Amino acid sequence: MAVATDQVTLQVDGVSVTVPKGTLILDAAKKLGIDIPIFCSHPKMEPVAVCRMCLIEVEKMPKLQPACAIPVAEGMVVRTLTDKVKQYQQGVLEFLLINHPLDCPICDKGGECPLQDQTFQYGPGASRYDFQKAHFDKAVPLSDKIVLDRERCILCWRCTRFTEEISGERELALIKRGVHTIIGTFNDEPAQSVYQGNWTEICPVGALTSRQYRFISRPWDLDRTPSVCPGCAMGCNIQIDSRHNKIGRFQSRENLEVDDGWLCDQGRYSFPYFQRDQEFGSPSIRRDGQLAAVSYPEAVAEAAARLQRAGSSAAGWASPGATNEELFLFQRLFRETLKSPHLDHRQQGIHETDPEDIGLPIADIERCDHVVVLGGQEVIDAAPVLHLRLHKSQRHGVAVHRVDEVKAGLAAVPAEATVVGVLATAARRADAITLQNQLVSKVKGSVRRLIVVRGPNGRGAKDLGILPHLGPGYAVLNGRAGRPRAEWPKAGIRALYIYDASPLQEFGATEAELDWLRSLDTVIVQRFKPSVLDEYAHVVLPGRAFPEKDGTMTSMEGRVQRIATGIDAAHVWDDWRILQAVANAMGAGWPYRTSESIFADLAKAVPAYAAAAPAQGRVLWGER
Amino acid sequence: MSLSQATVEKIQDYARRYPSAQSAILPALWAVQHEVGYVTSDGMREVAQHLGLPASLVEATSSFYSMYLTRPEGRHDAVMCVNVACALRGAEELFAYCEQRLGIRDGQTTSDGAITLRSTIECLGACGGAPMMQIDHRFEEDLTPERVNAIFERLRTEPAPSPEPPRPAAVPPTPTPAAKAAPKRPAGGSRPREKKADT
Ligand code: SF4
Ligand code: SF4
Ligand code: FES
Repeated sequence: MAVATDQVTLQVDGVSVTVPKGTLILDAAKKLGIDIPIFCSHPKMEPVAVCRMCLIEVEKMPKLQPACAIPVAEGMVVRTLTDKVKQYQQGVLEFLLINHPLDCPICDKGGECPLQDQTFQYGPGASRYDFQKAHFDKAVPLSDKIVLDRERCILCWRCTRFTEEISGERELALIKRGVHTIIGTFNDEPAQSVYQGNWTEICPVGALTSRQYRFISRPWDLDRTPSVCPGCAMGCNIQIDSRHNKIGRFQSRENLEVDDGWLCDQGRYSFPYFQRDQEFGSPSIRRDGQLAAVSYPEAVAEAAARLQRAGSSAAGWASPGATNEELFLFQRLFRETLKSPHLDHRQQGIHETDPEDIGLPIADIERCDHVVVLGGQEVIDAAPVLHLRLHKSQRHGVAVHRVDEVKAGLAAVPAEATVVGVLATAARRADAITLQNQLVSKVKGSVRRLIVVRGPNGRGAKDLGILPHLGPGYAVLNGRAGRPRAEWPKAGIRALYIYDASPLQEFGATEAELDWLRSLDTVIVQRFKPSVLDEYAHVVLPGRAFPEKDGTMTSMEGRVQRIATGIDAAHVWDDWRILQAVANAMGAGWPYRTSESIFADLAKAVPAYAAAAPAQGRVLWGER
Repeated sequence: MSLSQATVEKIQDYARRYPSAQSAILPALWAVQHEVGYVTSDGMREVAQHLGLPASLVEATSSFYSMYLTRPEGRHDAVMCVNVACALRGAEELFAYCEQRLGIRDGQTTSDGAITLRSTIECLGACGGAPMMQIDHRFEEDLTPERVNAIFERLRTEPAPSPEPPRPAAVPPTPTPAAKAAPKRPAGGSRPREKKADT
């Protein structure tokens, strides 16, 4: 007698395969490299088996079965290549195409469309349908982000299931029935979700498309560059799709540990901020009250001379949108070359920090039994894709408590909880720690926290010491601490160097700060696009946008991820090169030729980073 | 516009009758239709609110069924079955006769606002009396042109039916678990049905 196990052995196309009980035939076949065509099935959603594309033969079953919905059984014999299967595949495609407009030549999906590809591979080749096709509305704006072409829709329910199972918002529904069925929102009201871009990626036809990408490019004309979303500290992986050296769109690049394959619209549709759609000015120096164009070496020499005059009374602000390599050089420029401790990367407010803030990796949220989201929606707004992870966890039985107050968080978690997580934004970090400590004494299990910092590299900026009171690797600066940004106007600062790396995480000067800037001897602005700060600058050093450079970024969970150059901007100096040139003009003698060589030195200065490089690993402070 | 207190109470009552709020969508939509005359988007929004469900789900449900009206209709609702049994007994010809008699097409309302005529309905289960027609939720069977004329004449002058068709009174507002386990179905089901006496 066979021993009962949780493994099942079956045969697919004559090859035997062993998979865990409950596996779907589709996935068992995939394990053998056998591709069964699908439309409605999606690895992250429950099977619905509505499209019938995946029909296959199973011995002893009288009719063809949907591979996407039938779990394997011991001794099952599956055939995916028989004449009958082929005949059904042709039949299903012929039916799907009866009312399909076949406007591939003007469809944004053409070239990366599963319906097109599968019709080519499995379809009948010609239609026998001579009658009038059913017509529906085309190019219906579902929101300011998405258009829906109801003629192209094959009613696979993927988008509606996304809003139900993945985001839980249930914004999309199947309206009417039979041949009249359409996808829509309630009362045709504009869709509100911040996850709409994902609908376009999972739609297996060109029914849901991004307005931003409408008629922009053919997929085969796109250059694809792996990168990391510049939107927030979540660190979702993206692919920069560009054409003719212009960004066409950001697509998701699945990282199961981080984004689980999804992006939010705030990140996905942020690319116009980084588009070099015109020239953003050459390096310039203020002469007689006017900015005058000069060469990079001239501007660098001017900046260096001015900084050297200010010496330790210079202050430096670097954006949490800059790379680790740039930030590392930025702090060396101040701490080593200028001997100034006045560094900061924070916008408003002084948020404390320490390595323990990354105690709960994003993917571990699913493995908690209780998660407290302290601040509720404000945490989600700070890192929107986090909501999808929380929703997924909740569906799998994790108790997620969205609370505003520490007290409510403490009350929500029962004493028998074993794995507890606390999430909060940097602004509520102190409360999060209070809650964590109280929970530690209340529950029998472990309690870890994850703080959502600001900016895609807000974590890196802290790790690398872009802070007045902590050096790289949280080194304590006994007695040598500088002043935080909020105190600079009263700290006798004479020169200010603003490295405004990202239009999404700007310096954001207050009115009072602008007055202060006007009073300064020296304001140096290194930035991508011109901003209001140019008016206050004595030296402007144009740099690059994140798609134009390479380096690493550290996400809020301490994951060090690489961004690569997708857009060529050779005529603009790399930002690290500008920083190095300024330091070297003061005699620093730095030898860097690539960002990798900077990372090597960075990892020496902050050994926790050595373990994280070059793979996309997490910085593990605990194992210092 | 918002629903009357009576309708809202009805919806809340339906919500309590089922283990899942979703099951209450259909009766709740009836309540809206009975008050307003058709299912409005505001009405659906309110149903969603009272049942704690996404509005999109309510619209998906209401738009699935042809018996929910989506715009104002005549005082009286005349739906003729043209499914197979009725069709064999001449329903299609009779429907054409109705169209001609009333001077309107399928789905339209007479200019005096008295009658809305439709044939979008599936078999109503009265094949024994084919051809048949449902007038304001009541059956009229064994139709002939003469009987149709008489019915239409009556409807022209008759006021709209009371907002809600008679409902079985047997279902208690909040069933106890025991009552749930043995639901008491009144004879004839919950669909109002009135047999013609003279056939
Ligand atoms: S719009 Fe796309 S994803 Fe949604 S049901 Fe239609 S084909 Fe499927
Ligand atoms: S959650 Fe943050 S990192 Fe992820 S896509 Fe949105 S903005 Fe980008
Ligand atoms: S993929 Fe199996 S039925 Fe659609």
